Amino acid sequence: MATGAHLHAMGCMQGQMKNHSNGSQNLAGSSQLRMVNESFYTDLRLFRQDNLHFKIWKLSMACMSGSQFLVADPIESSSIRSSCDNHRRNNETALILLRHGESMWNEKNLFTGCVDVPLTQKGANEAIEAGKRICSIPVDMIYTSVLIRAQMTAMLAMAQHRSKKVPIIVHNESEQAQTWSNVYSAKTKKESIPVITAWQLNERMYGELQGLNKQETADQFGKEKVHEWRRSFNIPPPNGESLEMCAQRAVSYFKEQIEPQLSLGKNVMIAAHGNSLRSIIMYLDNLTSQEVINLELSTGIPMLYVFKEGNFIRRGNPTGPSEAGVYAYTKNLALYRQKLDDMPE
Amino acid sequence: MASAATCLHATSSIQAQGSKHVFPLQMVSKGFSLDMQLRAKRKNFPASLKLHAVHASSSHSSIADPIEVPSNNNSGDSEKKSTEASLILIRHGESLWNEKNLFTGCVDVPLTKKGVEEAIQAGKRISNIPIDMIYTSSLIRAQMTAMLAISEHRRKKVPIIIHNENEQAQKWSQIYSEETKKQSIPVITAWQLNERMYGELQGLNKQETAELFGKEKVHEWRRSYDVPPPNGESLEMCAERAVAYFRDQIVPQLLAGKNVMIAAHGNSLRSIIMYLDKLTSQEVIDLELSTGIPMLYIFKNGMFVRRGSPIPPSEAGVYAYTRRLALYRQKLDKLDEMFE
Repeated sequence: MATGAHLHAMGCMQGQMKNHSNGSQNLAGSSQLRMVNESFYTDLRLFRQDNLHFKIWKLSMACMSGSQFLVADPIESSSIRSSCDNHRRNNETALILLRHGESMWNEKNLFTGCVDVPLTQKGANEAIEAGKRICSIPVDMIYTSVLIRAQMTAMLAMAQHRSKKVPIIVHNESEQAQTWSNVYSAKTKKESIPVITAWQLNERMYGELQGLNKQETADQFGKEKVHEWRRSFNIPPPNGESLEMCAQRAVSYFKEQIEPQLSLGKNVMIAAHGNSLRSIIMYLDNLTSQEVINLELSTGIPMLYVFKEGNFIRRGNPTGPSEAGVYAYTKNLALYRQKLDDMPE
Repeated sequence: MASAATCLHATSSIQAQGSKHVFPLQMVSKGFSLDMQLRAKRKNFPASLKLHAVHASSSHSSIADPIEVPSNNNSGDSEKKSTEASLILIRHGESLWNEKNLFTGCVDVPLTKKGVEEAIQAGKRISNIPIDMIYTSSLIRAQMTAMLAISEHRRKKVPIIIHNENEQAQKWSQIYSEETKKQSIPVITAWQLNERMYGELQGLNKQETAELFGKEKVHEWRRSYDVPPPNGESLEMCAERAVAYFRDQIVPQLLAGKNVMIAAHGNSLRSIIMYLDKLTSQEVIDLELSTGIPMLYIFKNGMFVRRGSPIPPSEAGVYAYTRRLALYRQKLDKLDEMFE
């Protein structure tokens, strides 16, 4: 049994918590904090993207009798918390956002939108790598769009997961589809992760630009018009959606369907597209329309949020197993990871 | 450019009719040597294949052609046999429930890492065979198999899944460039190609089920033709909806000269093979389709001719099954050279 680990904070920062009910100051700058403990060394980096609000957490020293890890805890308490492995914060859940990788039309530089094109080999590999980054983060439910590139990304990523639970796509399109996909073993159901597909999580629909070459489109409509369609918040391409329209249906879906699951304590992963995910992040981080336009989400790099007491706390990008980085973001996540470590192979 | 006529000397000529043999055949030509194996799995191997020496004016390929073509065929590359189309059948590889030994049926479980690899390998085997349309079931393991396989294809056309579930889905997935449409392969998903629905066995462990219902009952459900598990489908019921779909939707495409690939499941594909090869219900029960190994049929003049399993480019073997396929492969080679 390990003795308590002492964590010496080389710097201690205080920041302001941002939540949905009130606005707060914008703190800019990136900071680095090193925590050294007796058995290992971790590097914690907080970073931001252009003009985004971000949160700085107070890092508390924690002495845990049964585990040695770093805990970054947003609750304002600098007291040393005595451990209880039993002390679970039930209302804390993980939310993973995953943008799919390269599709066959990305490769050909064609506007894709809601045309259902699959991943390239590179995109498939990006999904696998993303899976390695989240293989120790609990996932109880998965939401994807109805497009194969997002679904494949979710499936390929989950094939790397350590929990060995099986993702199962839920079929509700007709009564037959529902009856035909019934599972008749309660034990098997417990080891399943429902996967729900929703058109509301689709990529922004690009109307008459779908299938067009980016160069041709510029020739046809003029570079400025195209730039406006691509980068404005509320100007849709002909017969298409603006980012605002995309955000409207994506965020409604998130609020009505996904957030209740998080409140129930389910850990959720959303595998979707650049614009639908940006829209959701706009909601999670309370961004302005100007800020969301400038937001670029990396492909194939998962983003983690921790949902706690109605607040979404951005936790950055989980690192691959071979990279040094934060071992776990919260106590619950650390305990989950330990459980996986203790599982027989 | 016409190269000198290639002579293929058959060292033996074989006629196969419904026998369980493996025939190695060696064909030696000026350019290269080929090894071709015909494997007759079951008694009812329907096609009788006659191998002829063929003079091909501009290709070095060996052609095993079921049609009795006279040996002096110099009508040239322009002669299109427009009623010939390829049909590829691929059974998906290992799924997460295969791995756990659970009855899957129509539960929508994805592929394991191994299943993903099987799909990629299958793709390498068919990378030189033309594909104009793809049909899959509505289950992700078949769809992923199709997408992973086609990503290996040399032609580089882009598969695009057709969405017809409602008007918005249709409208939202529209493509506005003719050029792009021409470079696309429509992918149609159909529940009729789903795996046989296993009713109350879905999700159950094979061992538990034997304990619950008795080994014999379970064996009967799994291996009989017309006895369904409780609330499930018998193989006969599965065959009825799969073959009806094949006849109504897929055969017309083949008749129109479209080359088709079907990525589906053990039972739905067996059912289709039962139709293609005119098997009896007893024969179809004994038929085992390898996972991840594509099967090629040539559809010609209303007939389906089984051509076995295409081999990956790294192995020696038949270069092409028909003249048309040989010409297609040549075209791919030329395209590659242009873009080297």
